[in-house]
Formats: sequence, structure tokens, C-alpha cells
Amino acid sequence: MSDTGVTPKSASQLNDEMLSSMRPPTKRWFILAFFLGLVVAWGLGAFTWQVTHGMYVTGKNRPCMWALYITGFVFWVGMSHSGTMVSSILRLSQANWRRPILRAAEAMTVFSITVAGLFPLIHLGRNWIFFYLIPYPNQRGLWPNFRSPLLWDMMAITTYIIGSSLFLYLGLLPDLAIVRDRSIGWRRTLYTILAMGWRGSAHEWSVYHKASTLMAALIIPVAVSVHSIVAWDFAVTVVPGWHSTIFPPYFVIGAILSGIAAVITLMIIIRRAFHLEEYLTAQHFDNMGKLLLMISLLWAYAYFVEVQTTWYAHEPIEWEVFQFMAGKYTLPLIIMLIGNAVLPITAMCFKKLRRSIGMMLVVSLWVNVSMFLERFLIIVPSLSHKNMPFMWNVYHPSLVESSVNLGALAGFALMYTLFCKLFPIIGVTDVRELEVRQAEVAMGRARLASIAGKDE
Amino acid sequence: METLGIFSDVDSAARAVDNLVREGFTESQITSLTSVPYPAGVLVINKHRSWFRWLALAGGIAGTLAGFSLAAGTAWVYPVQTGDKPIISSYPTAIIAYELTMLFAMIGTIVGMFLEMKLPTLKKRPYDPAIADGCIGISLTIHAEGERITCEPGVRPGECIGGVASLSASQQKERAGEIMRAAGVLRIIEEERQ
Repeated sequence: MSDTGVTPKSASQLNDEMLSSMRPPTKRWFILAFFLGLVVAWGLGAFTWQVTHGMYVTGKNRPCMWALYITGFVFWVGMSHSGTMVSSILRLSQANWRRPILRAAEAMTVFSITVAGLFPLIHLGRNWIFFYLIPYPNQRGLWPNFRSPLLWDMMAITTYIIGSSLFLYLGLLPDLAIVRDRSIGWRRTLYTILAMGWRGSAHEWSVYHKASTLMAALIIPVAVSVHSIVAWDFAVTVVPGWHSTIFPPYFVIGAILSGIAAVITLMIIIRRAFHLEEYLTAQHFDNMGKLLLMISLLWAYAYFVEVQTTWYAHEPIEWEVFQFMAGKYTLPLIIMLIGNAVLPITAMCFKKLRRSIGMMLVVSLWVNVSMFLERFLIIVPSLSHKNMPFMWNVYHPSLVESSVNLGALAGFALMYTLFCKLFPIIGVTDVRELEVRQAEVAMGRARLASIAGKDE
Repeated sequence: METLGIFSDVDSAARAVDNLVREGFTESQITSLTSVPYPAGVLVINKHRSWFRWLALAGGIAGTLAGFSLAAGTAWVYPVQTGDKPIISSYPTAIIAYELTMLFAMIGTIVGMFLEMKLPTLKKRPYDPAIADGCIGISLTIHAEGERITCEPGVRPGECIGGVASLSASQQKERAGEIMRAAGVLRIIEEERQ
């Protein structure tokens, strides 16, 4: 019994609770997985229709040749950004509240970048020759041109998929050993292979911590570079509305905003679905809310600077794009501005609202809807009203494009749902490490929690 | 040869380590097996100097070279003349080289980490699944009589090896077992002979 009169939980109890997501699937889980599978199948069906009938089934036409697929691509890349970024920064800064949320964030990164990576391939006209993008000696007499930002994209996304998967795996390693020791049958075989013979010796832990810190430091510049490169896809062109020096930092800020909101949404779902209220507490939402507030302020500043500069210069073609966007897409623009700036900035100022799960769900979902709209409003109006007025056009998304995007969302959710059943969604050793390092010490009339610091 | 004692709590495990050291076993012979990391010195002192970061650095350098070769090298081998622009463009080359530098450095980190941990291993080593549920394993590597232990630089063999090294392996194992039992071990697991 502790001094506070509460019996501390044993390691076994903590393991049981934190691994509750891995219990045998319930009927509701199967229904959810089946439903998501159906939506994915619908999306795949739409894509197959596009492959067999040609690109005319999409709403794309001159001059708007990038549309909903590239919107989806930029959105998912952005979402992937923050998972690893939040995890790395909190790891490096030794923020103890990070522990229960790391896994959810890291898994989100891997699945969203995987979904993002599919969009350029879906967007290609002749998808079946996608391998022309890959640089290898061939008999076609073709070699990918590295001057093209699309090749930079391919390299950056490949690096990020591999890097964030390694980062996720690294975090999972000690937990896989725990799961291995508590499982039987095919699961035991799977976790035995994945745990690589981890025993948790003092030497293993020491090397592991150094490797985790180094990986966290390495993955941050990769994450920044990935979204900067995606921004360069736009910024290095001479399309009005895109050719802007602020684009890379603006994209990175938007990506972090979107990612933090997505992590909050996932935390709420996981907390509710697996009864993890003791581990994902109001304090975690409070802290994530503060992060959201800060990034939202940054986003609002970046957006203001971009619009203000264009407005002040009043270059006709640049201003035409903004006018067209404000006139034709007024409602999405208002939803976007409220969702990305007005709502999070006002709501997240209040501790009570940051600690309200319902409010956090509304804000985080609205932020991501707004971020999708923001990507759309960057891409479509600029292309619709480019330099040559005789080619101006208005883009309307087709059912095929909407279905593929919906399928992608369901694909992400399905991968996440399966991951929760197969792997620990809470960092078990991370959380238990804090329990080990934590003690109550007497100071004056109070007893305060004290946490043993770093080993060095 | 490895002997593993399983303890139910940190205090009894730490007591066993203290008594093993007092008996003459060295810190380098003793390690802890735990499901969560304990601060250095709580159970054992780990003095290993880590080298895997050199592999990460080597990976990074290899990545830079690979990226440069891929972007600049292939542009030079398959020149595409576009206006008066240079055949090798520094901006894209830097981007590709940067991405591959980071990729190879990350792969180097993970590979180096596993190499330094000597994982995965095919050899069956003493272990107990109870460790996952919070038990503490104290593992003692026993050196057979006459077998020399590698000492750290600057430490004399007499200080490094420890007094019990002069005993036979079975006698050492017996002494270690007695000490662990006195400290409250739950069970002792011996390494299977290969």
C-alpha cells in the first residue's frame, strides 16, 4: 500500500490493462472491420473502373490536371508528418506525459504515409507502368529525370516510409518481447520472430535508448524535408498562387496541425474503444490541446502573411486566383478558416475545453476536414485560373475520385484497426518505466511525486 | 556459462548483486534482465562503450555517395541537354543526396543497434517469461577455471577477474546459487549445454 492509501498496480495488472486492445476480437470489431473492408472494396472498384475506362472518368480536364487525388496525397502526407514529429520531439525533450500517446502517433504516421504513397500512383494516367519512375538500368532508353520534383517526392516518401516504419518498430521492440512472453500459438511464433530474442539485459536497454534517441533526432529532419519537398512540387512551378517562398514552412506547419489533430482524434477513439481512460487522461488532452493552439496560431500567421503579401502587391494574375477562390469556393474557404484558426485558437485557450473529450473530438475532426479543404483550395483554384484566361475552367470532382478518396480513408482506418488487434497500441514498457522511476517524497507538509531522471 | 536467478522485486535482486560482487564476482559478469529499464546503478552498472553510432555515420556517408551517384552520376552518364542548363544540376542532386544520407543513416542505426546487442541470436539463452510480468532476472556469466576475462583498459587482471575466478566453474555456480538463495531468489535457471 502506498502512502496515499492506493494499492499500486502490479506489473502484470498494468500489462493486462495496456494490452487490452489485443484481446480476441469482439463481434463489434468484426462488424467495423467488415464495414471498412467494404468501403475499401468500393474504392478499389472505382480505381479499377478508372484503369479500365481511362482518365476521362475523373473530373480532371485542362487546365486543372491536379485535383482530388493530389489533394488526397498532400493531405495524407501532411497527416503522416506529425505522428513521428510529435513522438520524436517529446522523446528528445524527455516529456513524461508523452508515454501513452507515442505508439498511436507513430502508427498513424506509417499508415498515413502508406496511403499517401498510393495517390501519385493512382493519379498516373497509365498506372501499370508506374515502375518507369524507379531509377534502374533498363532497355527503354529512359532514365528518370532527377530535376523533376516528382522524383524528389518519390525519394522523400520512400525514405519516410522506411524511416517511420523503423521508428515504429524500434518503439515496439521491448513490447513485442512482453507480448511474446504472454502469448501462445501462431501469435507467439510471430512475436518471437519480431522480438529478435530480446531479453531486456542492461546492455540491451542501454544500446536501445541510445538508438531511440538517435533515430528520433534523425527522423525529424526527414519529416520536415518530406513536406518541404511536397511543397516544392507546387512552389517551384510558375503557377500563380503556388510560386511562393513561404510554401515549404507553411506546408510543414499545416502538416503538423493536421497531424496533431489526427493524433487527438485517434487518442479519443482508442481511449473509448479499449477502456484506457486511466492511461489517456485529461492531462494528455490538455497538453495536446496546448500544442494544437500553438500550431494553429502559427498556421494562422503563415496564412495571413501569404494572403497579405499577395494583396499588397496586387499582381493581377495572383490576385485573380484569390478572388476566384473567395468567390467560387466561399463556403469551403469559411469552413477552412474557422476550422484551422478561429475554432482551435478560441477553444484551446480554455483549460476546461482542452480537458473536455467531446470538445476535443469536435475540434480535432474539424481541423482535419479543414486541412483537406485547405489542400483542395491550394490546388484547384490556382490551376483553374492560370495565366491564360481562355483556358480558365471550373473543376468538379467525379464519383470515381470521391470514391477512391473515401476508400483511402477507410483503408487507413482498416490498417489502424488491424494494428490495434495485433500490436500494443500503448507503449507498455514506456508507461511502466515511469511507474518504476516514480516515487513520492515528503517536502514540508506535502508529499510530492518525484521522477528519477536520466541515467547519465 | 550463464546462470539466471529470478527475483520477485528490485530490492532482493539488488541485494543478490551486492553479495555477488562482495563474493568476488565482477560487475562485468553480472547483468539484469528486466521488462522495463531501470536507472543505472539500481541493479547493475553497465560500462560498455557504445560503437553502433559509427555505423550510423558510415551509413550516412554511404548514403551521400549513393545519392550523389544516383542524381549526378547518372545525369553525367546519360546527359540530357535542356537549353543552356547544366547537365548536373546541384539543387536536385543535393535533395536526392540528402534523402539517401538520412535513409542510410537510419538503416545504419537500426542495423548497428542489433549488431551491438548481438541480436537476433540462434543460441538459446536462459530466460523466464515471468520477467515480462515484472520479475527481475539477475544473470551471472561464469567463467571456467583458467579462462581469462577481458579486462577494460587500465584495469589489472587481478582486479578485473575477481577472487572467485580461481574456483572451478561448478564451484562458482554453487557459490552464486547460495548467494542468490540467501537474497530470496524464486528460481535459478541454468544455461543449457550446447
